[in-house]
Amino acid sequence: MTEKKNKSAIQRRLIPTYIFLVIWSLFSVFPLYWMITAATNNTVDVARGKIVFGTYAVENFNNLIKSQNLWGAMGNSFLYAIVQTVLCLLICSLAGFGFELYHDKAKDVLFGILLLAMMVPGVATMIPLFKMISGAKLLNTVWGFILPAVATPFMIMMFRQNSRNFPVDIMEAARIDGLSEFMIFFRMYLPVMKSTYAAAAVIVFMNAWNSYLWPKVVLTNPKAQTMPMLIANIASGYTLDYGMMMMGVLFCSLPTMIIFFILQKQFAEGITGAVK
Amino acid sequence: MKKKMMSLVLTGVMAVSMVATAAPAMAAEGSATGDHTLSVFAWDANFNIPALKAAEADYQANVDPDFVLNIVEQSASSDVENAVTLAASSGDYSQLPDIVLFQDHYIQKYVADYPDAWVALDDIEIDWSDFGEEKLSYSTINDVHYGVPVDNGTAIFAYRVDLLEECGYTIDDLTGCSWDEFIEIGKKAYETTGKYLLSMDGSGNDLPYMLLQAEGASQFKDGEPYITENETMVQIIEKIVEMIQSNVLYLGNDWSDYTDQTIIGDMVAGVMNGNWIIPTIEQVPENSGKWEITTLPTLEGGKEGYASNGGSSLYITGNCQNVDLAKDFLAKTFGGSTATYDAALKDGGVITCCISAGQSDVYNEGVEYFNGQPIYTTIVEMGSHVIPVEQNDYHYTCRQYIGSAIQQILEGADVESALADAESQLRFAMGL
Amino acid sequence: MNKKKMGLVAKQNAAGWVFLAPASIMIFIMSFYPMVEAFITSFKTGSSANMQWADPITYNYTRMFQDKLFMTSVGNTFLYLLIQVPIMLVLAILLAQLLNNKDLKFKGVFRTCVFLPCATALVSYALIFKSLFATQGLVNSVFVSLGIFKENFNFLGTAWSAKMVIIIALIGRWTGYNMVFYLAGLQNIEYSVYEAAKIDGANGWKTFWGITVPLLRPVIIMTFIMSINGTLQLFDESVNLTKGGPANATITMSHYIYNNSFGQGVANFGYASAMAFFVFILVAILAVINLKVGDTRD
Repeated sequence: MTEKKNKSAIQRRLIPTYIFLVIWSLFSVFPLYWMITAATNNTVDVARGKIVFGTYAVENFNNLIKSQNLWGAMGNSFLYAIVQTVLCLLICSLAGFGFELYHDKAKDVLFGILLLAMMVPGVATMIPLFKMISGAKLLNTVWGFILPAVATPFMIMMFRQNSRNFPVDIMEAARIDGLSEFMIFFRMYLPVMKSTYAAAAVIVFMNAWNSYLWPKVVLTNPKAQTMPMLIANIASGYTLDYGMMMMGVLFCSLPTMIIFFILQKQFAEGITGAVK
Repeated sequence: MKKKMMSLVLTGVMAVSMVATAAPAMAAEGSATGDHTLSVFAWDANFNIPALKAAEADYQANVDPDFVLNIVEQSASSDVENAVTLAASSGDYSQLPDIVLFQDHYIQKYVADYPDAWVALDDIEIDWSDFGEEKLSYSTINDVHYGVPVDNGTAIFAYRVDLLEECGYTIDDLTGCSWDEFIEIGKKAYETTGKYLLSMDGSGNDLPYMLLQAEGASQFKDGEPYITENETMVQIIEKIVEMIQSNVLYLGNDWSDYTDQTIIGDMVAGVMNGNWIIPTIEQVPENSGKWEITTLPTLEGGKEGYASNGGSSLYITGNCQNVDLAKDFLAKTFGGSTATYDAALKDGGVITCCISAGQSDVYNEGVEYFNGQPIYTTIVEMGSHVIPVEQNDYHYTCRQYIGSAIQQILEGADVESALADAESQLRFAMGL
Repeated sequence: MNKKKMGLVAKQNAAGWVFLAPASIMIFIMSFYPMVEAFITSFKTGSSANMQWADPITYNYTRMFQDKLFMTSVGNTFLYLLIQVPIMLVLAILLAQLLNNKDLKFKGVFRTCVFLPCATALVSYALIFKSLFATQGLVNSVFVSLGIFKENFNFLGTAWSAKMVIIIALIGRWTGYNMVFYLAGLQNIEYSVYEAAKIDGANGWKTFWGITVPLLRPVIIMTFIMSINGTLQLFDESVNLTKGGPANATITMSHYIYNNSFGQGVANFGYASAMAFFVFILVAILAVINLKVGDTRD
C-alpha cells in the first residue's frame, strides 16, 4: 500500500517532466507528421496548411515517379551510403584501434593533427577535390562520392574513445596464443565493439544519405543523382507541386528513420561507450 | 561465432566493393563523330524542353530520320552554369553535353572566362538579320555569334480585364500610361478587389531592370555601375517603393513564392515579366478569358514601354565531337524553321524572336485564355521595339544589390544612401 | 609494455602504424592536401580556368574585410551560433537529464521522438520548415485563426523572422542529436553518486551543477566543438530554407562562399578560397579555446 502510494507520489512529482517532454516531442515530431500528411494532399492544400490526411497520396506518388527518376535516385543513395558506411567503418575502426591500443607519443601527435581536419570547411576543399576526382576520372561514380568522406576524424575519435573499454589483458593472452595483430582486430575487437559499430553505422549512413553539397558538385549526371538532390531539384523547379515534393521528402527520409529504429538500442550503447 | 562474424563482415565488404566497382561510370555526355546523336542540357520541363523536342521532331522529319536529341533535364539554369564552371575550372570538359541552353545574361562572362568551353558559330548557315537585334546582342561577343536564340524575352504586362472593369477601367487606360497613373489604378484595384496590380520575386529583382529598359536606360554606363548618378534609376526605385507601400506591388520571397503564391495563388490582377511567364499565368483554368496583355507603363507616360527579361540561347560546347551535326541541327531548327517554332509555341508556349517565323498562321491565332487576343504575334511585334541597353557581366550581381537597397529603403533607409551603398558594393564586387 | 622484448614492441608498434595508416593517408589526401591547394588559390585571382597571382598578393584577404556582404554573412553566422548553440545545448542537457530518470515511463518513446528529426535529411527538414512558415502556410493560418496575427505574416520575407525560423529549424533538428550524447554520458554516471548527493540534502538544481555538469564536461566540450563547427559551416538551411534572403539578410558564410564559387555567374575561386580560410581559422580558434577551457584529460 505504502509502496504504491510512494510510486504514485513519484509519478505525480514527475508531471512537469511529462508535460515538458510531451511538448518537446510534439515540437520535434510535428514537422515529420506534417511531411507525411502533406504527401497525401494536393499542392493547394499543402500551400494553405491543411494538417489532416488527404486523398492525393497515389496521385502525388504517380506524379513523382513520372517526373523524377525516383527509383534510380533511391538506388544511388543506397549504393553510395552502404559503400561509404562499410568502408568508413572499416578504415576508421582500424585507425581508432591503432591509435588507442598501440598509442605512443608519435601516434598521439598524429591523432591531434588529424583532428584538425574536422575544422576544414567543406566549401574550402570542394574545388581542389573536384579537380582531383575529375582528374582520376571518378566523376559520377560511387568512388567520387565516397572518397572524401571515407575517413573522418570524428569517426576515428569515436572508435578511439570506445576502444578505451576494450580489455587489453585479453590481447596479451591472445598474443601468447599466437594470434597476429590483424587476427586480434578481426576476431576479438570486431565482435566486442559491436555496439560501437552499430552507432557509427547509423551516423555514417545518415551523413552519407543526407549529404548535399558535395554530391551537387561531383554527381553532375542526372543518372547519378541522390535523393536529397532529387528533392532539392523538385523544390527549385519553375513550378512547384508541393504534394509531390513532400512525397519525395518522405521517400528521402524513410530509409534513415527505419535504420535508426532498427539500430536504436545499439546506437545508444555505442554512443555511451564513446563518451565514457 | 567470432569466426562467423568476421567472415560475414569480410564477405560483406568484398561484396559491396565489387558492386561498387561494377557500377558503371556514367559515360561522358559528348557524342562521337559520325553518328546521329546530340546531347543537350536544358531546364524547365514546361517551356524549354518541349521546344527542344519540337526541334528534334522537325530535324527527324525533314533532315535525318535517325537523328536523336538526348535532352538531359536540369532542375534550373544554375545547374548548367555550374556544370560549365566545374568543367572549365578543372580543364575536364568530358562531362559536358554537345549543346547547352544558357542564360543570356551570363553568357558574355562565361565566354570571356572560359573561351575553350564554347564553339564560335561563324560559319553557320543562319540569316542573323531575321532575329531581334536586342536578343542577339547577348550571344554575340566581339561580333562573333556563339548562340542560337530559342525564346524571346520580351516583357509583357498582362492584366485581368474583368477585375479592371470592376474598378471602372479598361486595359487601354493602362496602355501607355505613366507609373503615377498606374499607381492610382493599382490603389483602386486593391481597394475594390483586394488584389495587387503587380507582383514580383523580391529576391530576383527583375523589376528595376525592366523598368529601366522601358526608359531606354541601363544600370551600367561605360562598363561601370550607373546608379546614384542615374536620375531614371533613382526615380524608378522611388516608384517601386511607393508601389509596395501603397499595396500596388507585392514582393514574393523567392521564385516559387512569386509564381505559386502570387500568380497561381490568384493574388494579383496584373503580371509583368518576360513572356515566358505566360504558361504560369495559364495554370489557373478558372481565369481563362479574363486576361489580356499590353506594354509597360513609363515614367513620363504618353508612350508605351518595351523591355525584355531573361531569355536563353543554345550554345555548342567545347566537348562537342560532332560540331558539324550540331551546327546543322541548330541552323535547320532554331535558325528559322517555322515547323520548329510553331510546335515549340504550341507545346511549350515558347515565342520566337525570329521575325519571319513569327508570322506563321499559328502565331496569328487568337488565344482563348487571353480573351481571344492574338498575343503571340503581338509579342513578336513588341519585341522588335525593345531598345538594346548596355549589358554587363555583373548584371545579376547588380540586380541583387539593387534588391537589397529596396529592402533597406522599406526598412526605413533613405533612397539616396541605400543606392549609394548598393553602388559602392557593386563597384567593390566588380573590382573597381 | 617497455618491459617486453624490443622486437615484439617494435612489431606491435609497426602493426599500430599499419592500422592507422589508411585513415591517416585518406585524411591527408582528402582534407589537408586540398586545404593547402585552397590556401595557394586564395592568393590568386582571375578566371578559374586561368588563374593569376593576385596583385598585391594579399588582395583577396584585404578585399574580404571591406566586403560588406561577407561581413553580413559573418554577422549572421555568429548570430546563429550565439543564439542557437547555447539554447540547443542547454535544452539537450535538460532533456537528457529528464530522460535519465529511472522512474520515468515511456522513456523509449520520448527518446525516439526527440531524436527523430535528426534522421531526416537537412534538405527535407529545411523544405518542411519552408512550407510550414510560408506566407499562406500552416503557422500563419494557425496564428491568424487564433487571433494572434491580424493578417498573414511574411516570415521568410522579413529579415528578423527569417533568421528566427532558421534558428528554430536548427534547434528542432539538432537538439535530439546532442541529447543522445548527453544521455549516454549520464548513463555512465553511477546512480549511487546521485543517491549520495540526495542524502547530503542537495536539491535537483545543486546536483545538476555540482555533479551532472562536471561529470559531463568532456561530452559537453565535444558537443560544443561539433556544434560550433557545424554552425560556422552552415549551408543547407540557408540555401534551402531562405536562399539567403530576403536580400541576403540571412546568408551564411558557407553560402556566400558557395555563391562566389558557383551558380551566380561568378566563379571567383581565389576570393572564395580566401574566405574559406577565414572560416577555417575561426573554427580552429574557437575549438582551441574550447579545448583549453575544458581540458581535463589526465
